[in-house]
Amino acid sequence: MTLPSTALSIAGLRKSFGSNEVLRGIDLVAKDGDVISLIGASGSGKSTLLRCIPMLEIPDAGTVSVGEDSLSPTGGRLSRAQLAVARQMRGHLGFVFQNFNLWPHRTVLQNVIEAPLFVQNRPRAEAVDEATALLEKVGLSEKRDAWPAHLSGGQQQRVAIARALAQRPRAILFDEPTSALDPELVGEVLKVIRALAAEGRTMLIVTHEMGFAREVSSQVVFLHQGLIEEAGTPGQVFGNPASERCRAFLSGHFDRNR
Amino acid sequence: MQADLTLLGFGPDGWGLALARAGLMTLYVSVAAFLSGLAFGTLIAWARVAGNWPLRKLAEAYATVFRGVPDILVIYLFYFGGRQVVTAIGTALGLSGPFDISGFLAGVLAIGLVSAANQSEVLRGAYQAVPRGTIEAGRVVGMTRLVLFRRVIAPQALVTAIPGMGNQWQSVIKESALVSVTGLVETMRQVAVAAGTTQEHFLFYAAGAIIYLIITTLSDHVFRLAERRSLRGHEQGGI
Repeated sequence: MTLPSTALSIAGLRKSFGSNEVLRGIDLVAKDGDVISLIGASGSGKSTLLRCIPMLEIPDAGTVSVGEDSLSPTGGRLSRAQLAVARQMRGHLGFVFQNFNLWPHRTVLQNVIEAPLFVQNRPRAEAVDEATALLEKVGLSEKRDAWPAHLSGGQQQRVAIARALAQRPRAILFDEPTSALDPELVGEVLKVIRALAAEGRTMLIVTHEMGFAREVSSQVVFLHQGLIEEAGTPGQVFGNPASERCRAFLSGHFDRNR
Repeated sequence: MQADLTLLGFGPDGWGLALARAGLMTLYVSVAAFLSGLAFGTLIAWARVAGNWPLRKLAEAYATVFRGVPDILVIYLFYFGGRQVVTAIGTALGLSGPFDISGFLAGVLAIGLVSAANQSEVLRGAYQAVPRGTIEAGRVVGMTRLVLFRRVIAPQALVTAIPGMGNQWQSVIKESALVSVTGLVETMRQVAVAAGTTQEHFLFYAAGAIIYLIITTLSDHVFRLAERRSLRGHEQGGI
């Protein structure tokens, strides 16, 4: 049996917004098949960390690698050559936003085949076949010709997941995928993500759903003020955290959810 | 007052054919001016949205100047001023005159450039109304700037821009009447000539009004159709 190789790695990542230092040196590695949950209080930097990976936010220092591609931007800017590398990296990542961000002027199917057709230049028939299968996987076959505005939040987010999968990504990044949903719609989205975990997909998930994180993750990372304060298996982090702050954060969370 | 309606007909004494031709000329001038305004307005809007500092300032200055000066002055500037410039250049090149600039060209340029300033405002607003998240979604799948513009930004901005562009088109049609000062025989000029010749002022200016109304009403209809078509998928939750 061969060891899984590194899908994604982050080293020494720093990012400030003005005088506010949001990330203060983050190191993180995801092997193929890892499901890593990023947890922490709002303002701890977990969403910024996730957004730095496809260079939606450009780090001030540090290195991000996805597969063979690697970028070490300096000063929060990308050169023209670095931007080309960033596009390549983005092609190997799926990203699921908190607010879905479907393209409202395209139907469900068109949303899913957009990147395969217009970024990856794959044949249309192949892209449509694959998109059809993906929509079935997320349980939305019958909505393929619907407009995003006619779907519920949970349905829109499942389309967004299918759209991410259509890129055939090495890893999928989820930025609080259920935070914008009505409580009764959270389950259907988590179910889809859970199925992806069972398939062995590599995923990074920023989430406030602690029960879910505990259940699907191979690794849980707790961020505090731009640093990784605690990391380990769900059993370690949820069962017996070394950090007092992590312990306080978790107990607060589970109390609130009770 | 007993107006002789045969004056509007196509008979030997009728002005019908002349009026129809003049109406078409109004349409030509307007279309040419609107399209050159669209081309230039897009550039201005782009400079204001994505340009660097000097480019942005230049575009803002342009919009300030052309929105702040009477259109008729711009037409005079291009027609009479333009003739002077062309003459100076021609003489310097050792060519023999007389040099002239056509009323059509001067009018189209003048109205087009004024309209560009207004259209750039509409387009800039439409661009800014495109939800940022949908742009991020395009960037994050690896789209180049061109693909992002063509596939994500432009189609959404267009929806917002159509009503505003419809208004710009209407005002271009009305401003085209100002081009009559160059002697170009468009609707305004033709009805003035006919009214003067026949002394039937009310009849011919009313006919002129009807010609403009036909053009504006028809084009309003076209813009409405375009708007309805572009709103597919937006029926819920507005745009």
